[in-house]
Amino acid sequence: MVSKTEEEEVNRLESQVDNGGGGAWEYLSLVRKLKLRRSDKVLKHGCSILNDSKKRSALGSEEWTLYEQVAIAAMDCQRLDLAKDCIKVLQKKFPGSKRVGRLEAMLLEAKELWAEAEKAYSSLLEENQFDQVIHKRRVAMAKAQGNISGAIEWLNKYLEIFMADHDAWRELGEIYISLQMYKQASYCYEELILAQPTIPLYHLTYADVLYTLGGLENLHAAKKYYAATIDLTGGKNMRALFGICLCVSGIGQLTKGRNKEDKESPELQTLSALVLEKGYKQQSPTKLPLLTSALKSLKLS
Amino acid sequence: MGGESRYEIHQNAYIKLVLHALNHRTSAVNAVLLGRSAATGTVEIVESVPLFHSQIGLLPPLEIALIMIEEYYSDRDLSIVGYFHANERYDDFELSTVARNIGDHITRYFPQAALLLLDNKKLEALPKGKNPSPVVQLYAKDTSTSWKLVGSDRSNQLSVKEPSANIVLLDYISSEKWKDIVDFDDHLDDISKDWLNLDVFK
Repeated sequence: MVSKTEEEEVNRLESQVDNGGGGAWEYLSLVRKLKLRRSDKVLKHGCSILNDSKKRSALGSEEWTLYEQVAIAAMDCQRLDLAKDCIKVLQKKFPGSKRVGRLEAMLLEAKELWAEAEKAYSSLLEENQFDQVIHKRRVAMAKAQGNISGAIEWLNKYLEIFMADHDAWRELGEIYISLQMYKQASYCYEELILAQPTIPLYHLTYADVLYTLGGLENLHAAKKYYAATIDLTGGKNMRALFGICLCVSGIGQLTKGRNKEDKESPELQTLSALVLEKGYKQQSPTKLPLLTSALKSLKLS
Repeated sequence: MGGESRYEIHQNAYIKLVLHALNHRTSAVNAVLLGRSAATGTVEIVESVPLFHSQIGLLPPLEIALIMIEEYYSDRDLSIVGYFHANERYDDFELSTVARNIGDHITRYFPQAALLLLDNKKLEALPKGKNPSPVVQLYAKDTSTSWKLVGSDRSNQLSVKEPSANIVLLDYISSEKWKDIVDFDDHLDDISKDWLNLDVFK
């Protein structure tokens, strides 16, 4: 995951390079390190280095890393001609390389030659069945063809081998959410929270999934995970604060007419509403009246 | 019922929808349409608010967004009259279940609600042709309970109010205006960002 300072740094560098202020290599390295998807920029600034033999040779052995990076960016931008050129250079430098083989297979994939790409990937996997990138390409390829159940199948197989891959669990969770399979999605986020209990985002999404599932028990659980998110973010996460208000309101509706012990104490909602109001007053004053009436409608219902 | 309605969308509302989708090319996005029914039986779509670009299937952010948006526009005599959806994949022309469900929810309050799906093929062809028709597919519920694509033979059932809208849209695309579009996801991450997008058309 990319932190806010890292993102600011990369944005600063990007506009610097865009405006001719130099630092292209630094920018490209950072994009690689943070695993960002800024293919149009990578293509533009990467090519400007590759097309300049002086700048290119100054990179030393990193030159080949750049060819690889630009090849992938070019495929993402549908500039298959450029991708092919980069791959050719790498083939010449590293004949028989598996890493270059991967790029060749990706080019087949970019051309939507699915059967041929699949063949190339499986032969690469035969040689090294623990190549995570190729396993992931298979998932992506199923997704690209609209075969979502296939993508789920490949991801589950992948997660049997690489259980500790958090991004893969997240991807699986997101796919389940997009299919409205919330029960299955909740399982993915439980895994993520167990593996990395201090990341607020997992608590938040898990709470969102539980709220979406609905029912008294899930609403109570959702409220706890929203509270954990607030705790972990020092009260700065607006989504979690809104989540508390929604949960308390929902619980109130479901327990209407029951005896007092089942009722929610309104304290948590009142506190969340106060923090929300303070936040809007400071950062979004024109929307404050909207917030106030939204909160009112949640209390009354 | 719904299948017989005509829809007219205002230029700015329409442009915001497309720019929002372009701002998040690698994910599904959605938006809500605001307007009113005119005396002639036409549904007038006056405004749109971009909603989300991540995890569209989750309820809490949607509920918050709808409460606030309804609250804001009720003072301006506009209510929610439809829903816009753009799929994650370029060549995916299926109406997802999430889109259907949100659409269903809206029809409970506004039976003639329009459901618009971004048509990437039309969007791609935009610079080549002079077609003034909007780059979306229109779905509506007829007397049955399911969403039906309103066929191209009756394509005039959805029109943009200003005939030059696509030319203006192209201009906005080439000047990369899509970067400035703020949706409700952005607002929830940083509440100082305004989902009304008042500055986009300045």
